[in-house]
Amino acid sequence: MIRFVLKHLTFLVITLFAVSFIIFMLTQLTPVDAARVKLGAYATEEQVALMTKQLGLDRPALERYGAYVLSVLQGDLGHSLHFGVPVSDIIFDRLGNTLVLGAIAFSFIVPLSIFLGVVAGINETSIIDRCILVVSTFFTSLPEFATGVVLLSIFVVSLGVLPGLSSLDAGGDWSVAQQFVLPVATIVIFDTGYVANMVRASMIEVMRQPFVRTAVLKGMSFRKVVLVHALRNGMLNPVTVIFLQINYLISGVVVVETIFGYPGFGRMMLEAAMNKDIALLEAGALVAVFVAVSTQILGDLAIMVLDPRIRT
Amino acid sequence: MPKDYEHPDIKVIKEQLLDGKVDRREFLWTATMLGLSATAAYALAGKIDGGPAVAEANAAIPKGGKLRIGMRVFPIDSPHTYSFPAQSNIVRQVCEFLSVTGQDNLTRPHLLESWEPSADIKTWTLNVRKGIKWHNGREFTADDVIWNINRVLTPETGSSVLGLMKGYMLDEYDTGEKDENGKAIMSTRLWDSNAIERVDSHTVRLNCKAPQLAVPEHLFHYPFAMLDPEDNGVFGVGSNGTGPFELVDLKVADKAVLKARDDYWGDGPYLDELTFVNLGDDPATALAAVASKQVDGLMNAEPSLVEAFRTIPHVDIHNVSTATAPTVRFKIDRPPFDDVRVRQALRRAVDPQEVLQVAYRGLGVKGEHHGVAPIHPEYAKLPEQPQDIEEAKRLLAEAGLADGIDLKLDVRSEPRWIVDMVQNLAEQWAKANIRVELNVMPVPAYLKVWLSSPFGVTNWRHRPLGFMVLSLAYRSGVPWNETNFSNSEFDAVLSEVEKTVDIEKRRSLMARLEQIMQEEGGIVQPFFLGEYTVFDKKVKGFKLHPTLYIFGNEIGTDA
Repeated sequence: MIRFVLKHLTFLVITLFAVSFIIFMLTQLTPVDAARVKLGAYATEEQVALMTKQLGLDRPALERYGAYVLSVLQGDLGHSLHFGVPVSDIIFDRLGNTLVLGAIAFSFIVPLSIFLGVVAGINETSIIDRCILVVSTFFTSLPEFATGVVLLSIFVVSLGVLPGLSSLDAGGDWSVAQQFVLPVATIVIFDTGYVANMVRASMIEVMRQPFVRTAVLKGMSFRKVVLVHALRNGMLNPVTVIFLQINYLISGVVVVETIFGYPGFGRMMLEAAMNKDIALLEAGALVAVFVAVSTQILGDLAIMVLDPRIRT
Repeated sequence: MPKDYEHPDIKVIKEQLLDGKVDRREFLWTATMLGLSATAAYALAGKIDGGPAVAEANAAIPKGGKLRIGMRVFPIDSPHTYSFPAQSNIVRQVCEFLSVTGQDNLTRPHLLESWEPSADIKTWTLNVRKGIKWHNGREFTADDVIWNINRVLTPETGSSVLGLMKGYMLDEYDTGEKDENGKAIMSTRLWDSNAIERVDSHTVRLNCKAPQLAVPEHLFHYPFAMLDPEDNGVFGVGSNGTGPFELVDLKVADKAVLKARDDYWGDGPYLDELTFVNLGDDPATALAAVASKQVDGLMNAEPSLVEAFRTIPHVDIHNVSTATAPTVRFKIDRPPFDDVRVRQALRRAVDPQEVLQVAYRGLGVKGEHHGVAPIHPEYAKLPEQPQDIEEAKRLLAEAGLADGIDLKLDVRSEPRWIVDMVQNLAEQWAKANIRVELNVMPVPAYLKVWLSSPFGVTNWRHRPLGFMVLSLAYRSGVPWNETNFSNSEFDAVLSEVEKTVDIEKRRSLMARLEQIMQEEGGIVQPFFLGEYTVFDKKVKGFKLHPTLYIFGNEIGTDA
């Protein structure tokens, strides 16, 4: 177990370095000029050249990358060009907001999708299974921006019962809690169907196993068979999927954050990329990679707990 | 100059107004430009033509209350280098400008009491208003004005005011250094050590190297806010200013909160607090935030949503005509655009009204491919040139391109209506065998190539006078000459326009410039857009400005 964790942590550090280097070099290839972005379209070429010098952007890329890595190792993430504040001021703030949004959504997605998946899976080909399958596939196929805009036009514009802006600021007469309803609903509608389908497929497979039939035949109640025998085995595959959702909830909800004006991590990364805010982009990418790799590690650990066979 | 000095041309335009040669708006513009206060100009116009003697009756504006306006909140720490009007809308409430161009397109003195141009309009005497105090109690003087002018004209500052004033205030010189390509690095400096002259504690004189009519307009260019020299060009929470509000909270990409001061020297403020709320990039968010009353209004609204906004009962729609012109432009020294017939064909194949309807919901006026808008005082009406596909084909055939041409057009991905515009144009061009492939790029990537692209789209922002964009974009060799247009007759007439006060004369000169642009220019300009926005019906005193500037001191709100 300790060897497993150590191995993966080493892998994590190497990945972080590789990603930071690749992103830095990629930003050098895009035709965006940070000094031009800072001064705007109407500054003269001479002024832009001067600003490039002032920002130190006329030094070779490798030299700048080296300086960047050194300062990060000393705990300085640099200054965000686009937001005009130190990277650490904005990135943890935004990450925190996204974690809150993700956690709330997650707390709905997991029980809901397991419940729906199990109900469908143990009643394979029944009417109820068909209904769950059709509805969940339908909502998962709808892109989040479509779901979000439909919810906005119903609950905000037509009915006027919910706020449309989720800036987490108590503007107008809406509480912060009310501001969470639509973004969370959009994510839950989009994501639950996918996870439910995975749980369903896994449950169907388990329910066809001989040990389930044996348990039923030896007179165990169906309810007990499902809860004691089938569920634990049926969750092995979905656990990986569920942990991967954490990854999606942190860096993948950019669309939802944009529609509802939510000050989250995904939207911050989008703006950083659009404005060649290299320091912020680098730090954000490192955080995203960290989350991706560590959720994978957590997922593997969870499977070890569920499945004694690989607990070596 | 004696205090009762009146520019000799004021008499001339009074007679012109009387004879009906100039209309009321033109009269007001010229009279205020020549140094008459707006109140005096309106009063004078009223005496002559019997119209209303004040700009607009100020309906009783309620006092107190808070207002929230949806607007992008960018970094605002460096006012002199702002590149978006939205940035200036925050600093404008705290730090003021020497002049103000109002919603009626007239420029009035603001931190100045008045200005006096010399007869050759090469010398401008700026009289600083007396008794204005900074928030910290110090008096606002000529030294503050001089410090700010010097700072925006220093190349290291990076202000776009420099490009605006370069022609009459600065000289270009070789720094002696070379860039990596061995090209000499050029820079600029004041053309004369006495160019900015301190006459006394409340008088500054600009001694220009060339005549310039638009000095008052330039003083209101949005990066030209008067900052306290003590703050050294940096703006933020608690910064000093002379304006009606102070900035008490700022979170970039989130919000900016301004608190009213009770010691403001001018009108208002009526509100207690004004907050700008960042709504992000998605127009649907703005619509939703207005619908759920999380903001009371928007800096501006997306044209595609105008029908949706009309369904919200608690808001008023405000609109205004502007001279903002989305312009397709091509380098006229590069094939195939080096053939004047190809340039004409690109124009003749277009129906501007259709483009306006499709791309901008008809919210605007159609363009005539010469850069001057009907709202400009010196606009001259030329004969209509309706769409003529056969003529376009004939012109191409004459240019030896009977099979048509294939072109690639660089266009920015935002705002969305610009993409709609070029898509519609491409459809129309296709009928004349001009096959245009669109290269849609993210905005920052486009900004990098906007000057060098052979075939691209520039959205020329509203400027109050018709010749201002022509001077910036089409005079031979100027930095923003994106079409590489160079025409000696055009340059000569333009220079004449820039020093002609008499509007009749100026308009006949403008007619020639417009003709040259239509015949030889490197642009297709389908329309001038109208701006619109929405505000809650409870908001009083708000008037939409053609450049979307917000004057917080004029606005009030019912409880």
